[in-house]
Amino acid sequence: MDEVRLLIKRFNPQVDKKPRFQEFTVPFKESMTVLDAILHVRDYVDHSVGARFSCRMASCGSCGMKINDRPRLACYTRVEELKSDTVKVEPMDNFPVIKDLATDLDGFFAKHKEIVPRMVRADLQELDNPTSDYLVKPKEMEEILQFTYCIKCGLCTSSCPTVATDSLYPGPQALAQAYRYVMDVRDEGAEERFKLLDTQHGIWRCHYAGSCSAVCPKGVDPALGIQLLKRHVMSAKPPRRAGEGAKVDLKGNKEPS
Amino acid sequence: MRESRLMQLQYATAIAAVVLVALHLLMQGVLFPYSMALSFQHVLSIYRSWIDGSMLEILLIVVVAHGFNGLRIILLELRQSRAWSSWVNAGTLLAVGLALLYGTRTVLLAVTGAVG
Repeated sequence: MDEVRLLIKRFNPQVDKKPRFQEFTVPFKESMTVLDAILHVRDYVDHSVGARFSCRMASCGSCGMKINDRPRLACYTRVEELKSDTVKVEPMDNFPVIKDLATDLDGFFAKHKEIVPRMVRADLQELDNPTSDYLVKPKEMEEILQFTYCIKCGLCTSSCPTVATDSLYPGPQALAQAYRYVMDVRDEGAEERFKLLDTQHGIWRCHYAGSCSAVCPKGVDPALGIQLLKRHVMSAKPPRRAGEGAKVDLKGNKEPS
Repeated sequence: MRESRLMQLQYATAIAAVVLVALHLLMQGVLFPYSMALSFQHVLSIYRSWIDGSMLEILLIVVVAHGFNGLRIILLELRQSRAWSSWVNAGTLLAVGLALLYGTRTVLLAVTGAVG
């Protein structure tokens, strides 16, 4: 393969009435990523192509887009692995388009914030003036570890069929993060999150399509987290209540095993 | 009512419906000979039995609750607004009530021998 046929979906909502595909030819290089191909077009052919990127190493989650009909990170997708000399790139579904391949993630981050993605503790005094450490046992960390890998790229949300129809649904990213914090032994805010999730447009609107897990570039399984969280929400029994979170004496009376 | 309670109801009615339909199929050939299912007198006796009538009533409640709650969920996912949610929830309750009333009337008419 000497050249790649790159089809970019162009749409500027402020100017265009409807989106259109524009074709570019990009010289192929070994190990070239889809982001490299897009940047080649931006640098040498058409500066007006809109795309978001940053780290180029699948850490920042900025370059999420639909590549050959599947949500992927452009920096983490090599052209060779697509097994086609035609690469079709489109903005992620379920997100408003800012321009071309760049989508508006404000609503996505707002839903992430809604589920209180931080440690909630009853002892605020202890947080300000700590007298001990909050330790997590390796087994306890195993339960949540994969969910801490989330880079908030939005690919899971773009592939979710429920998000496509229910604008109030938190989405797989927010729900998986809710599970991550509910199951963290240092956290005591599960009841607060359950009130947010046990609603008409909350966690129960997940029908376990599993597409979120299939497209996650970091190997996170949001669908699993959501199903496990449903069990806790159904019983309305949080793993811990206020004051029951992990705590260990500074002298080390309780050691993680 | 908490949404999780409604989902519990949804799961429980799904299992109950499968059990009742399985029982129904078992009665057509396994528990009773299949020829009895084709006998007018036998079928009439089933409709006039209070035990079978009770099973029909339970099946009615289970299927109506499961079906209309499922429809409510689909409609809630279709559009999102406070007014739409209120209409859907109220409409579901009304539909469940009407279906149960009409269905119970039918079961009672059969059991008491008013029809058939």
